[in-house]
Order: sequence, then structure tokens, then C-alpha cells
Amino acid sequence: MSEYILKTEEISKNFGGVSAVDKFSMKISEGEIQGIIGPNGAGKTTIFNLLSHIYCPDTGTVELNGVDVTAKDQITIASMGLSRTFQNTRLFTGLNVLDNVKVGLDHNGKYSIIEAFFKLPRVRREEKRIEAEAKKCLEVLELSKYEKARPSNLPYGIQRRVEIARALASNPKILMLDEPAAGLNPEEVFELIDFIRDIKKNFKLSILIIEHRMDLIMNLCDYIYVQDFGHTIAEGTPEEIQCNPAVLAAYLGEEE
Amino acid sequence: MSSYQISLIIQACISVISITGIFALTGLAGMFSLGQAAYMAIGSYTTFILANRLGIPFWFTAIIGIGFSALIAFIAALPTVRLRKDYFSLITIGLGQAIIALLITFSKVTNGAQGFTKIPKVKNLVWIALVITIIMVIIIRNLKYSRFGRMCIALKNDELAAKSFAINVYRLKITIYILASIIASISGILIGLQSRVLLPETFGWTASSEQEIFLFFGGTNSLTGAVVSAFSLKILPELLRNVTLFGQSMQEYRTILYCILIILVLNFRTAGLFGEYELNFNFLKKGFHKLKSKKSAKKNNGREDS
Repeated sequence: MSEYILKTEEISKNFGGVSAVDKFSMKISEGEIQGIIGPNGAGKTTIFNLLSHIYCPDTGTVELNGVDVTAKDQITIASMGLSRTFQNTRLFTGLNVLDNVKVGLDHNGKYSIIEAFFKLPRVRREEKRIEAEAKKCLEVLELSKYEKARPSNLPYGIQRRVEIARALASNPKILMLDEPAAGLNPEEVFELIDFIRDIKKNFKLSILIIEHRMDLIMNLCDYIYVQDFGHTIAEGTPEEIQCNPAVLAAYLGEEE
Repeated sequence: MSSYQISLIIQACISVISITGIFALTGLAGMFSLGQAAYMAIGSYTTFILANRLGIPFWFTAIIGIGFSALIAFIAALPTVRLRKDYFSLITIGLGQAIIALLITFSKVTNGAQGFTKIPKVKNLVWIALVITIIMVIIIRNLKYSRFGRMCIALKNDELAAKSFAINVYRLKITIYILASIIASISGILIGLQSRVLLPETFGWTASSEQEIFLFFGGTNSLTGAVVSAFSLKILPELLRNVTLFGQSMQEYRTILYCILIILVLNFRTAGLFGEYELNFNFLKKGFHKLKSKKSAKKNNGREDS
């Protein structure tokens, strides 16, 4: 076992001539909450896409739980315990909330398609287990009352929580949240902060957050990376970041 | 029942069997195929030609026929499932037409456009067809409510998100494609047994698109809708056989009828006639439980009285 759940070393990604991410290094250990902040176009989401292998990094290495996963594909990475949400919620609109959460568990269901055809005993048993786990997950996150609803009929804030619930269902080692507070009003943001704290209490995992909202980041994170034009311009604890001149320059402009 | 009515029932059964495959493929996994009739052709031609050449009962060769069409489906699926949805449809049209062209070209074996007629006669085909239909509907219903059904709908809705939940989308798509072609070849064999002649044009792309029309009419998300529409739309033109319009039997207007229906559905009920409705028998169960509790209550009352 490595001491870090997720560790990257100098990963870079170029799109054409544009360097979207340049030599990004990070490490996160169990139970930690870390954040990545930066202005628009700083390469934050690209980092997420590199970590979850929607893109492959041009250079550098990614280690998940001490295993080098740089060359692995998206599906393998996900089955190794990396779970994420998307900037625009991507719930499965054809399924209700409970089934959406079940999908998070389905990839390691213990029955074959032939057994599914004839609904053999093992299918019933497994379905019961999956249902119980999904329900428990919704209960812990206080979403049980939306169980039968279609995602498209729910308010945006709830949709975000369902998406997080779906990501948590598979019991990941690391949860990556891509702008969880985007489009939420201030009240909902405070609810979300409590929500994420609850997750940390109830589940044994590390959390990595991308966010614009300073209140959320500063309240939650143990450690922060600041990105600007693909480069890491600062990293440290919230207090350090708040008085870092480079960060202030990137966010507020240079002092005259 | 007259033999005409029986043949109608068999035709409807075949239509329902094919629609279950199309439902799994298009309704669940979101793969819009316009070449499923090709697998009907592969299944039935292989079965009956082998049965004829080797002189063994067609039950055995049917297994080979179904297996062979599954193999072809696997080979065809390997490169095509990675394509985007529209390209996938184009490839399947091409595949379907290529198979038909092959059947005509190899006329020494298939008897080409004149049709292959050396097909054994089977008694009580209607019961065989009905049993297979019921089994297929149950299998696909179970599939829909299993983890595979959920994963299929997930990948249909959002492939990228499905992948990020460790769903092996390619493997799943290939599996469903093979399943659909197995079902198609079963219905192809039944077509052969019923009409006792195999003509290449029976399995042309009109046959494939007809099935997709049935599915979209009934509702891509509803197995009930698909089954009902496959049954009724297949029967409807036959019932209108004696109605004439401009000196032509209504049956001749079949294609026009289907087109009008599909335009109406796409405009006014985009989710299909049944939307996401599924028939279930829970109300029967509930009624049964009520009856039971009433009976036991009566018994108790009787005891108290005595």
C-alpha cells in the first residue's frame, strides 16, 4: 500500500499548440479533501479528464493506490476506485434516481447475462443486494424521498446530490467533484458544504474538488492547488493561498 | 380456425419475436440497426441448406444456423460498435444489403432469386411459434429489469458517463448485438418454416426498417408498446385486405400506411404510443392478497360466531 491514494507526477497535455495542462503534480492521501482553483480556461477540467483518463496525458505518470495507471483506459480506472461527477450533471435521464445509483454498482454485479434472462436465484439475490446498497447510499445522503423520481424533474441542486450519490455508490477510494456548486444559489452552496462534510464523515475516501466559489473551497479543503493557463502558480493550505501574491495577481490583477 | 387465420397468428408471432430483438438492440442499448433482417437470412438459409444437404433434421441444423449468425454478428460488431450512432446505422444497411447480394450471387447453393424451397413441413407450427414468442418476451423483460438492462439504458443516455462507472460499453454493445441477431435468426427460421420458401428480397432492408418502425411506433422505452405495435401493425394490413381504395387492395398501401403512422407518432407523441409504460401484473397480486385476507377475515368471523 502506498501512503497516497492518488499521485501524479508532472502530467502535461497539449491540444494542438495550446498547452492545457503543464507539468501538474499532486498527491492526496486517504481522508483528505483537496481543491483545484483557477480562472476559466486554466485547465482544471482537463486535469480531471486526465485523471479519469477521458484523455491520456502526453507526458508524466499517474498512480492510483500505488499502482501506475498512466496507460490504463477509463473503464479500468473507474473499476479501480476512482469516481467522478461532471461539470454539467450527466445523470441517466432514462432511469429513475434509485436506478441511477444502482448503475454505480452494476459493473461488478455477480451474475451473467444468461442468468439474467431466466431470473435465476442468484439474480434475485444480487438484485436484492444491489437494491439494499443503493437505498442505503440514498438514505445516508438523505435523498430517499426522491427515489422514484426522474432526474429531469428534480431541482438542479438535488440533481447534483444524486450525481454525487451515484458516484459514491461504488464505494470509491477517491471522489472527484467537478464544480459541484456551479449554478447553485448561496443557500444551496452552504447546504452543499455540509453535504460534502457528511460524505467525509460517512465514507472512507479522499475528495478532490474543482471550484470557482471561494467560500466552498476555503471552507472544505485541507490543501489547494491554484492553476492559471495550465501552470500551477501556487499550492498550500487555504490560509497560505489567501495571502499568496501570485494568486491575488491572477484573480484580482496586479497591484499598481 | 381456418389455415388463413393460423398463418396470420404465426406471422404476428414472428413479428413479435423479431421486435424483442430490436427492442434489446435499439430500445435498450440505443443501437439503431437497419440490417437485422440479414441475420434472419443467415439463420434460415444456413439451417435449411444444411438440413437439405446433410439430410439431418433441421432442429440440429437450426442450432448451427443460429450459432453461425451469432458468429457473423460478433465479427461484424467488433469494429462497428465503436462508431457513432449514425455511422453504425449506415454500416448495418450496408451489411444487410451485402448479405442479400451474396444470396443472389451464390445461386448454386441458395437457388438465388427463384427461392430455396427444400424446406421440411412442420405440424403445429403455431404452437411452436407461440411458445417461442412467450419465452422471448419474458427473456427480454427480465433483461430490461436486470443490471444489464440498466447498464444498457445508461450507455444509451450517456456513453461517457457510463464509462466512468466502469461499464465496459464495448463488451456490452457486442453482447446485445449478438443477442439481437440470435433472436433475428430464430424468427428467420420460423419465416422459412411458415412460407416454405426463402427469397432473398424477403430479408431486404425494408424488412429491417419495418421492425424499427414498429418499435418507434410502440415506444422505444416500452417493451409492452413494442410487442403491441409489432402484433397489431403486422395484422392490420391483412385485415384491410378486402377493403379497396382506387381499385387497389388496402394491403398495397401498407408502406404508405406505415409512413403516415410514423410521421404522426414522431410529431405528436415522440416517445411512441406507449411512452415508458410497461404492463405489469402487480395489481393481480394485490387483488389476490386482498381476496386472501378477506377470506381469512371471514373465517375468523365465522369462528367467533360459533
